[in-house]
Amino acid sequence: MAGKLQVTIDLNVCVGNAMCPHIAGKSFDLNDDRQGRVIDPDGDTRENVLEAAEACPVSAIMVVDAESGEQLFP
Amino acid sequence: MVTAINDDMFSGLAIEDPYAYYGQLREEDPVHWNEKYNLWVLTRYEDVVWCTRHNEIFSSAVFKNDYRAPYPEVEESDMGLYDDVRKFFASWFIQHDRPVHMDMRRVLHGYFTPKSMEQWRPMVKSVIKDLLDEADEQGEMDIMRDFATPLPLFVIAQMMGMPYEDRKFIRMLAEKLLFIGRGDIGRMQPLHDGIYELIDYLSPVVEARIKNPEDDFISVLADGERKGIYTREQVVSNAILLLLAGHETTINLICNGSLAFMQHPDQWAALKNDQGDVVPPLINRATEECLRYDPPVKSIQRIAGEDVELGGKLIRKNDRIRWFITGANRDPEKFEDPDTFNINRWPNAHVGFGSGIHHCLGATLARLEGQEAFKALADRYESLNLETKEFDYQPSITFRSLKALPVTMN
Repeated sequence: MAGKLQVTIDLNVCVGNAMCPHIAGKSFDLNDDRQGRVIDPDGDTRENVLEAAEACPVSAIMVVDAESGEQLFP
Repeated sequence: MVTAINDDMFSGLAIEDPYAYYGQLREEDPVHWNEKYNLWVLTRYEDVVWCTRHNEIFSSAVFKNDYRAPYPEVEESDMGLYDDVRKFFASWFIQHDRPVHMDMRRVLHGYFTPKSMEQWRPMVKSVIKDLLDEADEQGEMDIMRDFATPLPLFVIAQMMGMPYEDRKFIRMLAEKLLFIGRGDIGRMQPLHDGIYELIDYLSPVVEARIKNPEDDFISVLADGERKGIYTREQVVSNAILLLLAGHETTINLICNGSLAFMQHPDQWAALKNDQGDVVPPLINRATEECLRYDPPVKSIQRIAGEDVELGGKLIRKNDRIRWFITGANRDPEKFEDPDTFNINRWPNAHVGFGSGIHHCLGATLARLEGQEAFKALADRYESLNLETKEFDYQPSITFRSLKALPVTMN
């Protein structure tokens, strides 16, 4: 079983394209400014979280393996 | 009258210097009812971003739902042509609201992500090298004709799997479609011609890709038909959208950006002296600043899906709205010294590609081409010298597009 994830969104870059909650809705939603927000990094499958990060049109989402510290995306 | 500004957005002043025109509107009446054309004109950064993020209020299905006559007016006898034109544009995925928009966009989205676009960078670099080698033999070039136009055309033709020999034909038809942003009373005929010639050109290609998918984005669209998300008609019309949007905007990015560098020699020198010591890299920041300072697209239209109050004004359901990137990107409430071209500016949350769910699908490709184009110019030339004092822009309300940009190179 894969370990926990650490997921951050750069709000200086996020344009609110809203792909992340669409793809991994148990890990992401939108804040009051309708930019991406992490609700639970491990709420969705690792596969979906990484797909959401990759689908971000401005690469605002960073995904790190919380245990090994390895950066998984970008 | 809240502002004394003339409501003719197609007039010389608004076309030549949109920053003065929409800047004045932003200062005096940021949510402005334009009486000449009967629509709302928005120019403040905060308002534009708020509207882009409230897509459930501001509908993108403009051509589908707006049966009123176009503005400015067209020949009465051309209203039949307009009906065809309207139906054609209504089938573009960007002219849809959720949930249909999401389904249509997702068919294409994966093709255009930052990660998948990177594979095209070597090709872009090689096209740039060839174009500049050719220009060097002459010692001069019209950046618009010889560099900014052929580069994105070549790239988009490659991505579509179209032969490069077709580029002049493609450009000729694309120029007819650009009449959509203009005010000419007779614009429906060229627009209508351009649409149907492009449909004739691309339909057999779509047919072929449906039978034998290849590694190009017409095949990606064709897959959308197999999944039942796109109709055949929509595959063809959206291929035309990508062909047009995939080059027209980048043409203007490269041309307007090159002009900004020539008009700001200190920023040109800063780019040439790039020490590679900032993150994100200076060339990326510079490209973002070009997109902010003199963006390829000036305005975007929407239609109000419900009554909404904005800036103390009541926008009513079905009202027409046009928001100006040109105004938002120079808003002093958002950007320090907004009229200064500063390639080191960061963060730089400009709205050159819009924002929200309709943020430009091809943004990464445009960025990549801009970065490589400006980098190549700075690496290759000590200076670019403007060979004109007059800047003539296309009379478009949508695109910020120079007619020519002649230079000599040192």
